[in-house]
Amino acid sequence: MSWWEFWKPKHERLEFIRDFLTANEQTIPGIRSIDQLNFTVLDTETTGFDPSRDSILSFGAVKVSELKIQISTAVEWYPLSENTGDKTAQIHGLVDIPDQISKEEFVRKLLAYLGNSILVGHHLGFDLEMINRQLSDFGLDQLPNAGVDTLSLAIRLEHGPQADQNRIKMGTYSLDALCERYGIDTDDRHTAAGDAFLTAQLFLKLLKVAERKGIINYRDLIKNW
Amino acid sequence: MSNVIVNRVAEFLKRFPPFSFLGDGDLTRVAQSVAVHYLEQGEILFRQGEAARPHFFILREGIIHLVETSQKGEEIREVCDEGDVFGVLALLGKRPYLLTSKVIENSLIYAIPVAVFEKILEENSRVALFFAAGFAAGQVVVRQDLSQGQKARSELKKASGDHPLLIFSDQSAVNFSEKVLNCPPETSIQNAAKMMAEAQVSSIVICDSQDFPLGILTDKDLRSRVLASEISPQNPVSQVMTRPVITRKKQDGFSNLYLTMIRHRLHHLVLTEDGTDQSPVCGIISDHDVFLSMGNSPAVLIHGLMNTQEVGEMRKIRDRAEQMLCYYLENEVSMEFVASVMTEINDVIIRQALEISKTQLKAQYPEMNSTRFCFLSMGSEGREEQLLRTDLDNAILYEDVAEGLQSKATEYFLKLGEGVVEVLLACGFDPCPGKIMASNPEWVQPLSVWKNYFSDWILHPSPEALMKVSIFFDFRFVAGSNALAAELSDHIYQEIGKKQIFLNFLAQNAMKNPPPLGFFRDFVVEKSGENRDQFDIKLRAMLPLTDLARLLVLSHQIVGINNTFQRFEKLAELESSNSELYSQAGKAYEILMRMRALEGLQNKNNGRYINPKSLGKLQRQLLKNAFAPISELQEIVNIRFQLDYFRR
Repeated sequence: MSWWEFWKPKHERLEFIRDFLTANEQTIPGIRSIDQLNFTVLDTETTGFDPSRDSILSFGAVKVSELKIQISTAVEWYPLSENTGDKTAQIHGLVDIPDQISKEEFVRKLLAYLGNSILVGHHLGFDLEMINRQLSDFGLDQLPNAGVDTLSLAIRLEHGPQADQNRIKMGTYSLDALCERYGIDTDDRHTAAGDAFLTAQLFLKLLKVAERKGIINYRDLIKNW
Repeated sequence: MSNVIVNRVAEFLKRFPPFSFLGDGDLTRVAQSVAVHYLEQGEILFRQGEAARPHFFILREGIIHLVETSQKGEEIREVCDEGDVFGVLALLGKRPYLLTSKVIENSLIYAIPVAVFEKILEENSRVALFFAAGFAAGQVVVRQDLSQGQKARSELKKASGDHPLLIFSDQSAVNFSEKVLNCPPETSIQNAAKMMAEAQVSSIVICDSQDFPLGILTDKDLRSRVLASEISPQNPVSQVMTRPVITRKKQDGFSNLYLTMIRHRLHHLVLTEDGTDQSPVCGIISDHDVFLSMGNSPAVLIHGLMNTQEVGEMRKIRDRAEQMLCYYLENEVSMEFVASVMTEINDVIIRQALEISKTQLKAQYPEMNSTRFCFLSMGSEGREEQLLRTDLDNAILYEDVAEGLQSKATEYFLKLGEGVVEVLLACGFDPCPGKIMASNPEWVQPLSVWKNYFSDWILHPSPEALMKVSIFFDFRFVAGSNALAAELSDHIYQEIGKKQIFLNFLAQNAMKNPPPLGFFRDFVVEKSGENRDQFDIKLRAMLPLTDLARLLVLSHQIVGINNTFQRFEKLAELESSNSELYSQAGKAYEILMRMRALEGLQNKNNGRYINPKSLGKLQRQLLKNAFAPISELQEIVNIRFQLDYFRR
């Protein structure tokens, strides 16, 4: 595995990364039923949409296990970023943030928190790119965790696995639109934790739809990804 | 650390009992421990006979039936909707579930670990009592109906023990002296005064040989009737004492005793064994005792009002009364008491306003000073139900005057009415949009004209007339000559007696506003709809009850009861077959009044429109239950007045 070599020349202080990678060496058997899987539903607010320049302003997440959202696991972190004071920060209303943590502390906390859970997010790819960018400074080029994008899952469930994403109106698959369609109140949009909570509720509802379509285990769930 | 996700869960929980009783710290702890389930229609959360899980549930959205399975088949025991707490009984009793929970509509469920809650149960007596009250009544779902809700809340009040107003629900807490200073009637005034000085009290009760009260002598009497009147202190007290004495028995409960004192402006109230002056004295309550028990008391406010004719000051006192009202409402003081106190305060303001206006006109219209008149309150103030300073509805009725004086009288009473209305507006009351006020010449009239008005409305019940009836029929004498008002009442009953069909018209009018049944149902199920945001509690819930009560009271020819909930109480007494329904309706009305007033106080408006979303679970349940009697009552009225036939 390529990431293994990346960590090798690093210092001892990066031990937490080794722990994380060790935890992720365990593969999840394909037949494990969905209610036995551990998910981390996450969302990030960023300074912009270019992963090479922008950085994470806030990270919010909550875990789903036994098909329940475990509120006790909810987290909300605000990593310090190089370009605070950027205009985007003001747009998102995240100007004076208390309890900001250093980039390294963020990565430490994040990896310990994620463990080998399956990552879930709306437009997950974007959040992962942003996170991976942070990780690269610590010798990790990408998270090894499996992932489920609620956007793709919704399309797959509503249009079938062969659906051509280019022919689907993406507006109807925004988090807002999906929440409305699945009857989820959207009070806290545009905070990372608020969106993560919405995404988690959406995910539970989507999993019920999936179950009816015969998607009941890990292999079925991550087939397209 | 607080967190958006935990906060969202906490915000939901906070709206419903028992979570509404928790402080922020406990609430966060509970919210943090929640696990969110999502089940679809047809799924089962737990089954009858299964071992209790280590958590109980609160329904975030959806509908769940609790079903009992027996030889007879399946029976739905409870229907849970948003905010209902269930699965508690099994868990606290550590025994298997008694019922099966079936998901009827896709449901989002919050599961709360019992371990977290047990700790709170131990520490928070209000929450513990809340559960205890429910389970003692055999409830499987934590929610309250009308009577239980009231019961549970009064128990909670006692448990918390942190409110001085507890005395209203707990008569044992009334402070009064059981040792009553007394003397026989032949005692000299001087000796009586000596006894008072020695005992350091402000009153002495004059009793006969059996300790029955004959009269009372107070500091004030000594000042005004003895010293100022230059009566010899050697005379017997019987000559200057106040008699007869107003007496009550101590078992009457504090609110009753206190109301007696307010109504009769007593500084001292004598308590006797059986409440009459034909039994021995056993205690005395002074207004000082009352003042010590509370700060912003009605007596203090009324006293303040009686001693000022300065409008700015009156306004301030009325504002303070509103603070007191808020306190009463939040502390579940009985609505009868609250309404009486607020009515008394409003009435005192009106009387003071009348005095102010009279004084201003005195010099200009000397010939009018002896003309009898009476100031009438209409509408909600007439019904003694006006808690907030909503619309003024009032009028002036004066005796018929000699021909030559007529134009002068018209002019004088209109100016008098204008003066009163101006003072009331300055005190913060809202003007009547329909101009039914004593400043409108149409409603400042001699008795003969008023009689004609009512005769006309009764004989020609046009829709417009019926609307007037709903306001004017609840008239109440506030100041001036009560005899004039009584004469008008008699006239009305005579006219109705002559034209019974009028009641059918009135009945038809009372049916115009069907109860909003299914309102919350729709609200819970539908995510949108025109009622989503606001609910007109006055038009949809209170008006139908007011109309029905008035109609039924008129049909029984009852006079002198204006209050809607007292009307229902009276009806319950008169018609034993429907007494349950009437008392439910009375209770419902009290709840509606309370909710409206609280809403108005919170939003600084007339409280007429309520946003159901802003209500807690208990309030929503209460409101929902309050609608129930309306349709049943309308059914009774429909049959009694044969409306279906009448409508053709």
